[in-house]
Amino acid sequence: MAESIGALEERIELLRAQVRQALVGGNRERASELRRGLREAERAWHDALAALEQEPPEQQRPRDGRLLAGAAEGNARAQAGSAERGLAGPAAPPRLQLPLREQVHQALTLLTVPASPRLISAVHEALFAGAISTARLTSLRRDEERSFLVAPFARPYYLCAALTADLLAPVRGLLSVSTWPMERRVIGPLSPRVDYLTAAIQIAESVQRIPGPGPAAWRLLWRFAVNIPGGSAQAGEVDPATVARAARAEMEIHADADTATRGAAAARARRQLGDPEQLFGSRLRAAPQAGVGA
Amino acid sequence: MDSTEARLDRIRGKVPPRNHNARTIAALSSNPGCARRAIMDAAGADKQRLAAHAGFPAGFGQSQFAITRGNAFEAQVKANGCAELLRLLRDQLRLPIPEVSYDNLEEVGGDASRELRHARTRHLLMRTAASGRDAGTLFDHPLLRLEVGGRAVYLEPDLIAFRLNGRFHVVEIKSFAVIDGQADGGKVAAAVIQSAVYVLALRQLLAELGIGPDAVADEVILVCPENFANQPTAAALDVRKQLTVLRRQLARLQRVDTLLDLLPAALTFDLDPDPAGTPRRPAADLADAVRAVPARYAPECLASCEMCFFCRDEARGATAALGRAVRDELCGVEHVASVLSLARGADPGPGELAEAAQVLRSAARLRQEGLGEAV
Repeated sequence: MAESIGALEERIELLRAQVRQALVGGNRERASELRRGLREAERAWHDALAALEQEPPEQQRPRDGRLLAGAAEGNARAQAGSAERGLAGPAAPPRLQLPLREQVHQALTLLTVPASPRLISAVHEALFAGAISTARLTSLRRDEERSFLVAPFARPYYLCAALTADLLAPVRGLLSVSTWPMERRVIGPLSPRVDYLTAAIQIAESVQRIPGPGPAAWRLLWRFAVNIPGGSAQAGEVDPATVARAARAEMEIHADADTATRGAAAARARRQLGDPEQLFGSRLRAAPQAGVGA
Repeated sequence: MDSTEARLDRIRGKVPPRNHNARTIAALSSNPGCARRAIMDAAGADKQRLAAHAGFPAGFGQSQFAITRGNAFEAQVKANGCAELLRLLRDQLRLPIPEVSYDNLEEVGGDASRELRHARTRHLLMRTAASGRDAGTLFDHPLLRLEVGGRAVYLEPDLIAFRLNGRFHVVEIKSFAVIDGQADGGKVAAAVIQSAVYVLALRQLLAELGIGPDAVADEVILVCPENFANQPTAAALDVRKQLTVLRRQLARLQRVDTLLDLLPAALTFDLDPDPAGTPRRPAADLADAVRAVPARYAPECLASCEMCFFCRDEARGATAALGRAVRDELCGVEHVASVLSLARGADPGPGELAEAAQVLRSAARLRQEGLGEAV
């Protein structure tokens, strides 16, 4: 009985990934076809679980720490109702904080540009629930890469690298989101500055939007304001509208050249790199020796 | 005939070499006559370990705290495409707003080997110097090379900035504070000499590409924290004087292979560590080996070389150990014992020291009259 549930869960995961890919690729008919198959599999899964409920409770499935298994379990728990609680072991206590990758995803989604762990942590502290320890972020990219290699595209997004425009190698110290278009994830010579200005605009608009920005938010905004010409109209004061305006003004100067560089690099990346390299970058390798030595 | 590399490797022993950096080159050029230091630095020997094992540990070098703080400040200044540094450069160099291009030379496509980084540095700087549309502005962690004592040494300045139709500027980021416009004189002086080394290296690199020395400014940008906050501030420092001194001293640095020729072929400073890393070589044996290479101790060594206490102990009894000024006052007599005996008048000394003897005797008499005690 347990095997068929396991096999069903795997099929469900696979179908979900395929649905997502079909949607991203714009293929609606294939997507609805896959969705139908997905619904059937889910129905079969519910039935199998209900049948299992009649039997004595199973041994708790060993948690081997693999991210895929964890994700499948997490999804299973979310999908089924209280029926499954007896199955998967003691219920997880209600979490007060999102897992690390969700927090990073939140911060990056606000910034809309690749960012360093320090900036991600500062944004999260200023505008979301609290600081993220930067030490935990250093291994995040590697963990995400491993998770991707184990099961490509199994998760809705991955926290991945930004690539250098010239060699398409991973940029040290930057995190980005896999669902962003390639153009946003390549870094040319002008891109660090353009992304900095974009981040300033996003943070300024957030500070204006949220009801009670704390001192951390104003401090963060101020650090951007002093480094953008015209960002702080009067010394010691910081006004989000001024910062945004000044950032846009400077960005106009760099935008065209930067967009051109990024566009060319993105096209090359899509042409030359496979899926894992497009997300996590490619590294220089020694070319194989051609021919036999004389 | 062994190659120089092989001989230096043998002298160093079975450990990986420690790199020269601008600090060691600056210190070396301030004492060019010291063969011991020249050989040890060229071989990349760990002077701290050698001194400690020979029985004269130097409580030396930067504390881990200072190193961490320096790295943190540098990271802050260079964060987000050098946002804070751009503000300072736009102010100091009048860097125009459109020039913000940033290139990171810390690794090339994930590969951090020095040859590769140096080749890429040359490529990017050459492209920039041609001042085309792709001219870069900020070069982070560039890798330069300098000939020191006949060997090439890799050097890594903090950053090089370039202004279009302008010149390259070396930028040094240090974590000692500038308070009310003043900073510790000794630290600033050290920073200036190190930056001069980088200017020299950069000029050499550009010369190899056929670009004249005027392409590199004589002014170095020093970035430090201001007052008691961590806000960075920048100042332009003129290094022309240091450049002249440096060029002269580096030319005087004897080629390392000439020095090696004077040494016994089997000389080695290897500590012969056991598998746990504890040195097994007897300390006296190591001390003898070190003494086989002549040194030139001066009190300045106390501030810049880890072997200082060893060499000072060795130089005990020589007036040179008291510093050049004192030695000149003592009329250049070489040993303290001779000075004292000449001053006491007991021994008239050799003919050529007659004048010195006279000076020293009058000094002794003055002292006796003034302090009431005999020399």
